[in-house]
Amino acid sequence: MAVVDEKHAQFARYKDDVQTRGKPFFPHAMFHDTVMSVVVVCVIIGLACIWYFTSDADAGEDGSGWLGPRYADKADPGTTSFIPRPDWYFYFLFYLLRIFKWPESVILATVGIPTIALVLLIALPFLDRRRERRPLRRPVAITGAILVMLAMGVLTYKGATVRESLGGGLTDTWVEQNNLPENARAGADVFQEAGCMTCHSYLGAGAGGPGPELSEIGAQSGKNVDYFVRYISNPREFGNNIMPVYASFGEKTLNDLAVFLAASKGPGGG
Amino acid sequence: MAQQRPPSLVRQIINYPLDWLEERSGLVGAVRYFLFRKVPRDTNWSHTLGSATLTAFLIQAITGAILAMYYKPETRTAYESIERITNDVTLGWLVRGMHKWGASVFIILMFLHMGRVFLFGAYKYPRELNWVIGVLLLVLGLFEGLTGYLLPYDETGYWATVVAININGTAPFLGPFLVNLLYGSADFGTDTLARFYSLHMLLAPGAIFALIGLHLYLVIRLGVTSPPWSPEAAGNERYEPEPPSRDGRDGRRAGLLRPGARRAAR
Repeated sequence: MAVVDEKHAQFARYKDDVQTRGKPFFPHAMFHDTVMSVVVVCVIIGLACIWYFTSDADAGEDGSGWLGPRYADKADPGTTSFIPRPDWYFYFLFYLLRIFKWPESVILATVGIPTIALVLLIALPFLDRRRERRPLRRPVAITGAILVMLAMGVLTYKGATVRESLGGGLTDTWVEQNNLPENARAGADVFQEAGCMTCHSYLGAGAGGPGPELSEIGAQSGKNVDYFVRYISNPREFGNNIMPVYASFGEKTLNDLAVFLAASKGPGGG
Repeated sequence: MAQQRPPSLVRQIINYPLDWLEERSGLVGAVRYFLFRKVPRDTNWSHTLGSATLTAFLIQAITGAILAMYYKPETRTAYESIERITNDVTLGWLVRGMHKWGASVFIILMFLHMGRVFLFGAYKYPRELNWVIGVLLLVLGLFEGLTGYLLPYDETGYWATVVAININGTAPFLGPFLVNLLYGSADFGTDTLARFYSLHMLLAPGAIFALIGLHLYLVIRLGVTSPPWSPEAAGNERYEPEPPSRDGRDGRRAGLLRPGARRAAR
């Protein structure tokens, strides 16, 4: 009970101090608030103006100014060459996803870590019950905060600078190393351009997760061209809730991809 | 204070409507309380981050409302309506630009404000509830960013949303249900866009406004903390008895830094 009384006593002292020695909100603190708000409005207007006047009417990268283009291209579900990326404030989560290489562990990045972090954040006042507010006397809190800020900063930076190889630059290597037939080249190009390597790897290139390495996928029994066409069109049918549905690729693209994957039996097979 | 003469005409014109309103609603008194309440003496610039965040949010709300007058939330027409806003509508480019960049400014300010509150230990008793409300506001703010990103229905928004929904799908038990909830139908389509639009401009802003109201009420009721390292921090402990107050003529305690408080502050 003594601790509770101390808390109450401190708050009572605080209120008393504010009443006797405090300053009125208007005009002193209100002045500060108003100035800061005006600064915020000016910054936002300034950013909008810079964005608009340094870019031009072309969509996509062509029309880009100092702060990016006015528009990206219009959404096209059949696109095969777009790398998905969220807005910058989600980069840290985006990159967290790429750290976990084994498919089973991906759920740690998508659900586990963010959920735990959020629970800890909400529960902070109930975990830290000390009355001490001076930073130098709160080593655990301050160290934790610095580590979290550093981690988020690094993750955000890494998420911003991650690059995937686009274009068919790897097809020749793959045909040679994985003993692929010539009719698999078209699919190999699509595989690189359509962003598959955002989640899959092939002969060591691409992302370690959440999807599996695919250079030997064709060697598994039952995985023929038909299987891959069905799978890529609708992964849900096979219990995969993570991979996007690519039915919109169209018959030719799906077939090319399927031929490529069915022929991917690893360097020893084929 | 006894009036020596009747109030001037100007005073009467100002006071009469205010008195009329005050008698019927009490609002004038409430505004007066808000404006003239006391805050700790050492309130500084870092305390402006909260109201700055509110300003950024209000800019989002206002520019968002204007955008909603021209935006068409249908997959075939959304992109063109954004083009029209940017090119044809008078100052449409400014409203759209402010909304787009205001989102980033809003999120940055929220994090800075959260950092300031954390540094000052202002989440401790009796302000725990305010912290929890603040974290909820942070989550809702990020959610606004997520749902708003899809609305122009361009490549970046479309594919980022596809990945985001799929990530939600990996949640245990609730995963597939969440995916269906966000898609609105069997797959990504017009229902998805309409759903995100409703979440972005009705549900989330409503919740944010309500929580901001609670947040501000608690700030006014519980007061703002002094910087903890300040020697004049409100609430500092006193170890020595108060010196006899040297208030002679005007009834106020003499001096700001009473000797007792100064020596006790570590």
